[in-house]
Amino acid sequence: MSVQILDRELERLEALWADGLSDSYRSYVEVVAGYEPEAQPKLALAAALIEVGIRLQGLGGRAAPPPTLLMGDLCLARASRLLADSAGQALQVAFAQAIETVSAAAASGQRARPVRDLLVHAFAAGR
Amino acid sequence: MISGRLRFDTSHATEFVDLTQRVNDEIQKAGLRTGRIHLQSLHTTLGLAINENEPLLLRDFEHLLERLAPGNGGYEHDDFTRRFEVAVDEPVNGHAHCRQLLLTGFLTLLVEEGRLVMGRWQSVFAVELDGPRHRQIAMQLDGEFSPSGGDSAAELVEMEITRQLMTDPDPVAVPMRRLMEAGGKRLRPKLVQLTSRIGPRQEPLRAASLAAAVELLHNATLIHDDYVDESTHRRGRPTVAAAEGAERAIAVGDYYFAKATRLIAELGNASVATTMAEALEAICASQIDDVAQRGAFPGDHDSYLRVVRGKTAALFAAACVSGALLSDAPADVVEALRRYGELLGIAFQMADDMVDFSPDSGKPIGLDIRQRALSLPLIYAAEDRSVGKEVRTLLAGSLGDKEVDRVADLVTTSDALRRVGDEARGLVEEAVQEIEAVELDGLRPTLVGLARSAVDRTA
Repeated sequence: MSVQILDRELERLEALWADGLSDSYRSYVEVVAGYEPEAQPKLALAAALIEVGIRLQGLGGRAAPPPTLLMGDLCLARASRLLADSAGQALQVAFAQAIETVSAAAASGQRARPVRDLLVHAFAAGR
Repeated sequence: MISGRLRFDTSHATEFVDLTQRVNDEIQKAGLRTGRIHLQSLHTTLGLAINENEPLLLRDFEHLLERLAPGNGGYEHDDFTRRFEVAVDEPVNGHAHCRQLLLTGFLTLLVEEGRLVMGRWQSVFAVELDGPRHRQIAMQLDGEFSPSGGDSAAELVEMEITRQLMTDPDPVAVPMRRLMEAGGKRLRPKLVQLTSRIGPRQEPLRAASLAAAVELLHNATLIHDDYVDESTHRRGRPTVAAAEGAERAIAVGDYYFAKATRLIAELGNASVATTMAEALEAICASQIDDVAQRGAFPGDHDSYLRVVRGKTAALFAAACVSGALLSDAPADVVEALRRYGELLGIAFQMADDMVDFSPDSGKPIGLDIRQRALSLPLIYAAEDRSVGKEVRTLLAGSLGDKEVDRVADLVTTSDALRRVGDEARGLVEEAVQEIEAVELDGLRPTLVGLARSAVDRTA
């Protein structure tokens, strides 16, 4: 998969690419192998953005300072748009449920399953 | 003012269609308590009348019309050799037009205690003179409406929001319920519901679900905003961040962001999902710009518009577009509504900025100054020839109560509020013009009224 086709999708998030987003992206490349080839880069990026966005926000831990929170929000929003563009309904729903699970646990002060596990599970459920 | 259409099919010529119950249903649905309902036939061979619904009497009327304008009376209108541009399916119906002239094409009926004021034997009729046809009557209701609006569509959204919050875990549902119960204008869901009635596919339950999701999404963004802005109160109550802590606020915002996204995805309309996702992205990007610009507070008009387009107008536009898309409205209508929503959103934000300087707002004056929030009155005051220098000096320093009061005084005594008000009203008129040329199924007056009331407010 070419990372170049994702250039437009990384607007405003370029700094994050070198700071963990690319690693996260690569870790999802195999996971999305069963999806339509043209959708795969966007789906892998969507998952990576959710993982990184939640980490930036400090969800489940210490709250991020406002500018970092907003960057995390943008990651989640961008992921949502990528999914709307490239994923079927089932996958969109599964991803949203993964975030609901993590955030509900965080609000309750409970430990949730790692977000990566939830997203990998979502990819399986959304196929 | 509420407007709409009554639609019905007729089965034959000289048919008296009793609309009394339907008109009363519309009055109840609109929540009109005391006022008037105006009905206007949209056809030249469909009349309106008030009389008694007694079958033999209706036959008498039919005979009367036949005597006054006989079907075989030899009408010049039916001589197609002398007329221009005659459609191939043009009916021979000169008698029907003449009979309509004997009736009326419009009625204004009085409403008291939520019902038509009618005599014991009176009924409201549409009189088909040339059917069978599909017919429409334009309808406008004005007067005093019940506080709940009697608006069943709005009630449906409230029920849907309540239902959704009931299924959520308490740690997220309780703070969100507290925020939503504290009020809010519900303008965005209203736009969704109105525009979802424009196209041919009208599904109130799906529209209510979308409208509820849009309102949840809006409130989710507010929860994060309040943490970012260090706001302590919203709608007269402590913000989620102030009451529950920043960590909980972030989690609640994320939960409802995800939930709203899921509810929208579950509608199964890809265009709606994309529209809402793009709006959310625009909101988040403009929030970053907003915070980044605070070093240059109060900023300038161009940067203000850039931020407001994303921060506020994007969701207004998306609400209009997504409702219309849900109803399968034509592309030109969707595009006109997008422009209407965007202009309305910008005007709404300008009006909101002015509320910060209104003594009737119920909020302490100068909250935006204290929070160094983007505000067009402040931008204009800072540019003002007479007070600008002092405003800029004060804003550049630390802002205690004394400085905030002084800046608020300078804004209100300058020309800034008038300029912002004029600009907001100008944008609303532009928004109204955007929907002039498209078919909105009778909803134009409601959308126009909503837009004008959104900027003419003090709270």
